[in-house]
Amino acid sequence: MILSGWETVFFWFFSIAAILAGLLTVMARNAVHSALFLISSLVSVGALFILLGAEFIAGVQILVYVGGVMVLFLFVIMLVNVGAEEEGRAPIFNRPAQVAAALIFSLLLVVALLAAINKGYVGLRDRDAAALKQTETTRSEQESKMQTGATGVSRITTQTESVGMSLFTNASLPFEIASLLLLVAIVGSVMLARTLKQEAAADDVDSEVLGQAPPAETGTDNI
Amino acid sequence: MTQLSPLCLLLLQETSGGRIAHAIEGVKHPDLSKFLVIAAILFIIGVAGVLTRRNLLVIFMSIELILNAANLNFIAFSRYLQDTGTGNPMAGQIFTVFIIVVAAAEAAVGLGIVIALYRNRETIWIDEIDLMKW
Repeated sequence: MILSGWETVFFWFFSIAAILAGLLTVMARNAVHSALFLISSLVSVGALFILLGAEFIAGVQILVYVGGVMVLFLFVIMLVNVGAEEEGRAPIFNRPAQVAAALIFSLLLVVALLAAINKGYVGLRDRDAAALKQTETTRSEQESKMQTGATGVSRITTQTESVGMSLFTNASLPFEIASLLLLVAIVGSVMLARTLKQEAAADDVDSEVLGQAPPAETGTDNI
Repeated sequence: MTQLSPLCLLLLQETSGGRIAHAIEGVKHPDLSKFLVIAAILFIIGVAGVLTRRNLLVIFMSIELILNAANLNFIAFSRYLQDTGTGNPMAGQIFTVFIIVVAAAEAAVGLGIVIALYRNRETIWIDEIDLMKW
């Protein structure tokens, strides 16, 4: 997987953008700014997915993360009041000692991960050197076989098709479990976010649990 | 860039540094390791955010950053397997789809908890949420 030409330019642009936006996400004072920087970081990572030949995943990333999850985040930020933090009256980070410990831990993690990647990748490249040399030719052959788009300039990939095939053959059971997980998450979040008034109106909670006086009808039945 | 490269080569012969030539080659033709490094940096930024911030919502966003770094790793290795022709090249992308699903579910439940917490405690700062501390 060696990028070349314009791909290199796009790779460096989007990777630096992703890292900068990630840093600003963590450091922004206003939570809304954090969310917007996170959106730009996610979009940049989506662009990196396209460079890696995973167009369908990039689309899912934009649709689900940016279109769904981040909008949910923005709604919740609007619902909870973070005025004191924005106006600079309250610190945005933990106590200095905690921050120092966390930063030292992160630095150690940087050193360890980069060393591990370096060593591991050299071994991997030496093992697969022969196979990697062939890919340049096979990849351009595959691309020339792809169907041409309506404009006649671009080609249509079959990547979505192969993701779908894999998803519904190899991973069909996890796919069904994922649908169940989403159902549980929907029901759970609706239950969690209900107000006391809504719980009383829903009529599936015992009124004693809510700490309110029981309705008059049940009181007369006992006499 | 093409005009500069003979100059760079000359410079490299002067310094006789094979390492520098190797590094410039790596910048001009990014491979798997560059993607892994980017993902590792994103992951660490997320970890630092989780450990240092006071705002619960920003901590959630940092978790999304961490999950996204894992996704980038999976996609990069998926492409690598496509290139070498070993293993199942689609497995990484399928994993990524499921990670995105789990992240969406996690965000929904987590934000529901944040709203319930804010309704009861009137704060989203994690150092003020200390009911279970002793």
